[in-house]
Amino acid sequence: MPSEPRPPASEPPAPPTTPEPGTTPEPGTTPEPGTTPEPGTTHDHTTTFATPRRLHPASVLVGVPLAQAIQAVILPVVATLAAPLWVTLMFLAVVAVIGLVVRVLDWRMRTFSFDGEVLRVDHGVLSRNHRSVDVGRIQQVEIQRGAVQRLLGLAAIRVETAGSAAEPEVDLRVVPEDDAVALRSAVRASQQRHRGQDVGTAEDGGTTADEEVLRVPMSHVVIAAVTGARLLVLPAVIGGALQFVGNQVGPFVDDVVDRMVELGLAGDTPAFDGPDWRLVAAGAGGLLLLSVLAAIVVGVLRDGNFRIRRVDDDLHVSRGLLSTRDSVVPLRRVQLVEIRRNWIRRVLGYATVRIRSAGGSTGGEGRVTVPLLPVVAVDRLLGEIMPNVEGVPELHSHPPAALRRALFRWLRPAALAVAAVWLAPRVLPFVAADGWVASARPWVLLLLPVNVVLAVVEYRHLAHGLTELVVAARGGALSITTNIAPVVKVQAVTSRRSLFQRRLGLTTLLVHVAGPGALVTVLDAGRDAAAQLHVRLSAHAASPTPVLPGSPQQDSTPPRGRSAATRQPDPLP
Amino acid sequence: MVTSWRISAGLSWLLPGAVAIGFAIALGAPWAWVILATLTALVVFSVTVYPRMRFRRWRWQLTDLAVELRYGVLLHQRETVPYFRIQQIDINAGPVDRVLDLASLQVTTASASGSATLPGIAADAAPQVRAELLARAAIAVADHPGDLRDAV
Repeated sequence: MPSEPRPPASEPPAPPTTPEPGTTPEPGTTPEPGTTPEPGTTHDHTTTFATPRRLHPASVLVGVPLAQAIQAVILPVVATLAAPLWVTLMFLAVVAVIGLVVRVLDWRMRTFSFDGEVLRVDHGVLSRNHRSVDVGRIQQVEIQRGAVQRLLGLAAIRVETAGSAAEPEVDLRVVPEDDAVALRSAVRASQQRHRGQDVGTAEDGGTTADEEVLRVPMSHVVIAAVTGARLLVLPAVIGGALQFVGNQVGPFVDDVVDRMVELGLAGDTPAFDGPDWRLVAAGAGGLLLLSVLAAIVVGVLRDGNFRIRRVDDDLHVSRGLLSTRDSVVPLRRVQLVEIRRNWIRRVLGYATVRIRSAGGSTGGEGRVTVPLLPVVAVDRLLGEIMPNVEGVPELHSHPPAALRRALFRWLRPAALAVAAVWLAPRVLPFVAADGWVASARPWVLLLLPVNVVLAVVEYRHLAHGLTELVVAARGGALSITTNIAPVVKVQAVTSRRSLFQRRLGLTTLLVHVAGPGALVTVLDAGRDAAAQLHVRLSAHAASPTPVLPGSPQQDSTPPRGRSAATRQPDPLP
Repeated sequence: MVTSWRISAGLSWLLPGAVAIGFAIALGAPWAWVILATLTALVVFSVTVYPRMRFRRWRWQLTDLAVELRYGVLLHQRETVPYFRIQQIDINAGPVDRVLDLASLQVTTASASGSATLPGIAADAAPQVRAELLARAAIAVADHPGDLRDAV
């Protein structure tokens, strides 16, 4: 039963929850203890989510994850590969029926409710599972609508909390769109109410400020797709594949043809004398064009219509043409901003900006990526994401000793490769002295100068900066990454000094912020500078100064450039 | 703690050691034996001298604001985990630790990577250390008003 999403459990089936109006209540249903069942009074589902309710009935079909569906089809097909077609079809039908029953049961047993404080989800057919999420823990709420869901006026709502689980804390696939929006507003309103009570000051009269922060034009989305990292490696992949075809398949085809001629199966077939290079070139060109087009289509569908709005203290990020995704990230939940520029985007003067909250799930859900924007616009966007921050802080480059470390880092693998290529035929009996290993030698040797250049380039990019509000670090050789984290979000600080670093007077500093893999790494800073940075960041982490996002009194003099003692100032190139 | 590290190091070398000896016998080449000898020296070092060096380098203290750790023989590390950011404290005791009546304290923050482990605390003292840390964390949180209390 490949479509069964849960492991079987030993518990007997729990009584179903109170049915929604519209579905006929089964005889003998008893209300679930612990929830707040009021049979027959659930007619007002416009304003409140207080009573447990089910997802939209369409979730029986619409919400099925693609992987699961494919699994459900492939497994029976493979299992009955040898059998006649009707057996396969029968098998498929049985699986489909079982899957459908499971989905219907799952839908019947899955309810959610929100009473203004706690978001509750109860699900499970055999083993019941009750999950409650306190409003204060919610990091990010996202509404996602696939193409089919949009046609039907449905949406999926995802709630992220700070945790390191692989999937969203709450994933309500397929609820009516209005409900999704209403639920999200209810959650946000409750969060704001909480904050208002805690701080002791009410928001200013309930007026909502709604301004557009950023809109990525379609041309930029296309450029982003074309200059994406995946596309840049494509020519290399195609080249490698062609070479493989030329080297391996060519002789093999020759072999087969020879054999056939010998056996008299094929008459005097003309021998296969290598691939026709014009044809191959045309094929490669076509493939390249096709992949570029595919990348553009995928990119436009995913990132088209990319907009960031700022509503009060929330960032609303929406994107997508066919299937849309609409995330709300409270400004005070922003943990880390990554500015990335790969080499081709640097040449064109563009950057990618990734906003990370502590949302637990991996795989791009917990973060929001601006596909492309001009480098000159980055500072303004930063100011919107992190109030009072005037763009990338002044960065200070690292002492020249860091260059030696960079050289070492880059040359070590290259030297290892050289040594391996030279020594392998001598030491290992199964490596031929004149095989491909030997022919690779000149290429491996070429690695050395290339890596020296890369090391120098990387050293020039190494830099860090600290202001009263943010800590920033830059690194990377071909692709430059600048990570910026608010100092109030720093969780812990680690300094590392290896044997070599101690000799060169260098320290690597790791600044931990919440979220999976969220880290600002200051690589090979000077010892004293790093020590100061460590102390100052620890102090910030231990006792965050009251700099609230959006607090107006800080606007006049954003303190800048007061970084730990370092060398020459080096503004962002 | 030194004993615990010694035993753990010895145990962790058991399997790779057996595999290496097996390989050396199977290959029978002289250089295989050279590698095996080097490996043996390494094991002896990691069981006898290294744990003591490691122990000598290990320092942790509770400052006014944070747990501070300094450790590492080749790679010197200095970790600072402020009380204010502490989310969770676990007491762990592996089989070796339990024989020796030791426990380690793992202090976790909201960050996936920024956690600190205090090894080699006497098993009956560990709950006290934890209580102390939790008390300090509570005070640190209580020092901050409203919004700032939220460490994430």
